[in-house]
Amino acid sequence: MTTTTNVGTRPVPATTTTRTAPPLDSSGRAAWGFLAPFGLFYVLFILGPLAYQFVSSFFATSLVRPGIGPVLGLGNYVEVLTSSVFWISVRNTLVFTVLTAVPLVLLGLILAILVNRVSRAQWLFRLAFFAPYVLPSATMALIWYFLYSPELGLIDSLLSALGVGPAAVLGNPLTVLPAIALSTIWWTLGFNFVLYLAGLQEIPRDLYEAASLDGASTWEQIRYITVPLLARTTTLVLVLQIINSLKVFDQIFIMTGGAGGPDNASIPVLMYVYNTSFTDYRVGAASAASMVFFLLILGVSAVWLTLTRRNQGQVNR
Amino acid sequence: MAVRPGTMSRRRLLELGGAALGVGAVGLTAGCGSSVAAGVVGAPPSPGTTTFWNLWGGSDGRRAESMYDAYRAANGGPASLEAITFAWGNPYYTKLSLATIGGRPPDIAVAHASRLPTLVRAGILEEITPADLAAANLTQDSFSPTAWKAVTVDDTVRAFPFDVGPLVLYYNTDICGKAGLLGPDGKLAPIQGVEAFEKAMAAGKQAGAKYGAVWPVGGDPASNWRWFQTLHAQKNSAPFLSDNGHSVTLDDDEVAKTLELMSKWTGPQGYAPGSVDYAGSLSVFGSGDAAFLVVGVWEITTMQEVGVPFGMTTFPQLFDKPGVWADSHVLALPAQPGRSAESRARTLGFARFMLDEGLTWAGGGSLPALRSVQESEGFRNLKPQADYAPSGDIAVYDPTAWFAGAGSNFQIAVGSQIALVQQGLATPRDAVASMRSQLTRYAETPDPL
Amino acid sequence: MTATSARPSDTTPARDSATPATDRNTPDSGRTFDILCVVVLAVFVVLWVIPTLWAINASFKSNATAALGAGEILADTSWTLASYAQLLSAGNITTWLLSSAVISLTVVALTVLFASLAAYALSRLQFRYKNVVLGVILAGLMIPPQVLIVPWFQEFGALGLLNTYWAVILPAVPQVVAVFVFKQFFDGLPKEIEEAARIDGAGYWTIYRVLIMPLARPAVSAVAIFTLVVTWNDLLWPLVALTNPDIMTVPVGLATVGGTFQQRYADTMASALLGALPLLLLFLFFQRRIVEGIAGTGLKG
Repeated sequence: MTTTTNVGTRPVPATTTTRTAPPLDSSGRAAWGFLAPFGLFYVLFILGPLAYQFVSSFFATSLVRPGIGPVLGLGNYVEVLTSSVFWISVRNTLVFTVLTAVPLVLLGLILAILVNRVSRAQWLFRLAFFAPYVLPSATMALIWYFLYSPELGLIDSLLSALGVGPAAVLGNPLTVLPAIALSTIWWTLGFNFVLYLAGLQEIPRDLYEAASLDGASTWEQIRYITVPLLARTTTLVLVLQIINSLKVFDQIFIMTGGAGGPDNASIPVLMYVYNTSFTDYRVGAASAASMVFFLLILGVSAVWLTLTRRNQGQVNR
Repeated sequence: MAVRPGTMSRRRLLELGGAALGVGAVGLTAGCGSSVAAGVVGAPPSPGTTTFWNLWGGSDGRRAESMYDAYRAANGGPASLEAITFAWGNPYYTKLSLATIGGRPPDIAVAHASRLPTLVRAGILEEITPADLAAANLTQDSFSPTAWKAVTVDDTVRAFPFDVGPLVLYYNTDICGKAGLLGPDGKLAPIQGVEAFEKAMAAGKQAGAKYGAVWPVGGDPASNWRWFQTLHAQKNSAPFLSDNGHSVTLDDDEVAKTLELMSKWTGPQGYAPGSVDYAGSLSVFGSGDAAFLVVGVWEITTMQEVGVPFGMTTFPQLFDKPGVWADSHVLALPAQPGRSAESRARTLGFARFMLDEGLTWAGGGSLPALRSVQESEGFRNLKPQADYAPSGDIAVYDPTAWFAGAGSNFQIAVGSQIALVQQGLATPRDAVASMRSQLTRYAETPDPL
Repeated sequence: MTATSARPSDTTPARDSATPATDRNTPDSGRTFDILCVVVLAVFVVLWVIPTLWAINASFKSNATAALGAGEILADTSWTLASYAQLLSAGNITTWLLSSAVISLTVVALTVLFASLAAYALSRLQFRYKNVVLGVILAGLMIPPQVLIVPWFQEFGALGLLNTYWAVILPAVPQVVAVFVFKQFFDGLPKEIEEAARIDGAGYWTIYRVLIMPLARPAVSAVAIFTLVVTWNDLLWPLVALTNPDIMTVPVGLATVGGTFQQRYADTMASALLGALPLLLLFLFFQRRIVEGIAGTGLKG
């Protein structure tokens, strides 16, 4: 992070005696004023609730009973950490992350390279790939729920035509996550595509021309110039994708009717928290699950920070 | 909920907020009034409107729509009733709970009898007092004993029984006719015992249907549970849960045997498809591709609209005793602090109106809970309703527990396993083991109520 | 490496068929590759537009047709506006659109204002504990708001604000990401621009308002766009906070009211598309801007 030079404390030239800039402490006071609105909201709606959640994770708080409830100590944590459904939800979330992050990075990169190369009608590709990204998750989920419907959906009809249907892909524990992952790839690919396209356009052209003169084939140019120079974009895309996938809820909630089924085969961590708190009324236990999940995300973010630090170090060298 | 502050401070706070801001809202608020106002200051809905929440989708929803229209016509126009349909199952009950805890419940809401004990213990529902019953001109004798029992929790009445919805057997009259399964009266000849049922399905298939029978398998644990429970309740075996859900008492061997049988039908014997979901099963039967359909009574309208020739009958007794899965819709009053006497009277009037419309509702398949409707000439002449009306007497309701009831964790945990077995993805033994461990976990979890 | 003169044409660099042919890089292989590119892209474009087109197609058929299956939907040529007419006359979807608009626009306005104010202080002003403040706010990047739904419900319940727009608006405003987008942008502005104004005695507020913000248009539009998309599409917290159908947002309404398990697929598709319409239109009109804004911030909720 760059350090800012302080504007307000520069010595004032003696010639402007009639008007002088306010001294240092006024800059300090003004700064708190500027920070106040954001700071107030930040404390009220982020830090405060987080602290409350931490506290209530040690209590048997109930949604339908007043007060924070009887003390449980570590009981909620023991319950969460020994709950098979919680670990299934962690597993589902991680599987979903892999199923979406890997194809999204690869497809985003490949399509961006292709579009950059074709260079014509870019608006068409942007429209086709990026438009799904602005759809609300609910719209996306309803469309794909319809496509997957056994006996009447388009995809199911195609599967039937291929001789593998009717297949209740959303009703089969083996296919439900891949099916929802596929719909998510369709939905968010445009975002990665755009990031990669922006990254591609920053690569100096003479690099390719020089390589071409040296006799490098198209494939070699991609392999030794494009991909390495896009490493920073790839890190960014990957981390954003992982963090988003860890927070998956909407499309699974809608496409499985809120059940995360069949047999919990698609329940993500956030749905476990949601169900525990708002369906089962068990706020304390949900708080503990939420805290555990928070630590999980914190871990991922920490890995990202280390990675980007290292990358930046390399670039600077 | 930690604090429920008085309305005064809340209103003040809201007004302050409303005055201070409205940045993006200004332009829009000018044009559109009430709903934005409700969003900004949490204003109550217009007085004189009864808000009614339900989970009636599909053809149930359309039938209910005609009843609302009748109510509106009789009670002062379109604004007299606001009826809202939510997604079925846990999401509906979550919504109802959150709305009640959040201080903005509807005036009256539909619930399943199987969910009633949990909702009552969570403080979500008001009591129906003797005065309320009197105001609606109802007594205990107005209802069938089963229905009355279903709405009585801890000796207090908590809702108006509305209907009884059992699982039944739909049959395609053309296919069954060709297969020689119909009696001289054109109705399905009685079937008794597993073997007879299998023979009937086989005969249907031989008569040219793609499948002998169809029932929902994928994507809908509740349907799986209903089907399983219908078969299982006919056996003399232990209940799944006892002691209000604090102990798990299912008979592993018997459950496994029932599952084994079901998986045989969707698997090796191929009587029924093992990969259809709810809508898919209706579509298969509706397009004449199956001789039998096993779902609840409420799909009668769907089949009538599709135009498939069909009849309905009480699900046959295949085991030791008669029995079918059933649940009831009830009309309940969510806890609403400061409900005015006028609003209460209007709400009770709506409940009474809906009960009196029982014959219209019965057209959608369910059996009316009100005796006067049950015994009416109109209902007795309703076909094929009269053919399965005896189902009501052998109805078996879901076990009682904080995690049980329609669309609950119990149905999801057990129903998912039933689906897996039918899809050939789990063995009956593994499924029973998984049911037991999941249910044990819930049974041992501290009761949040 | 050999230096080459810059080419004036805007063809992509890799398509360099004019270079002397070698064994591995013939003009032929370049052209084959180009054709392959176009074919692959065409396949993906088709795959990517089919779901939306299919939904649009089904929304203009009758519910009865839509419930029969893919073949019937395709074969049926009797287009109808019945679903749209029914939805618009029922009025649910218009109420939800209004709620979403009011909520999203308010959140956008407050987020841009609060975040830019805070970023201005962090970037241009000097004060004690600045690094501590920066650290505390930076830590916020790691708190996904989704983990706070449980305490938020308790908090807004206690405030009596559940089932009001405020329950959705207020927690969406403190967006740490927005602060950092603004801070980075402000850091890149030269210091000199304020000095003259300071000497003329202009206060910090005036400088922020008159000098800095007009320059910060790109940052404002980037923050505004991603805040709008994220807020409009958010489901989880509004699902908990808004149970009154009159004030639900589009995603909450679509996810709960009516439900997905009804057999009215034409209606469902029509309402899903109507709910997405404002953002889709916005995207069509400001395609370049939005894409650049997203690429610039590289962030999604």
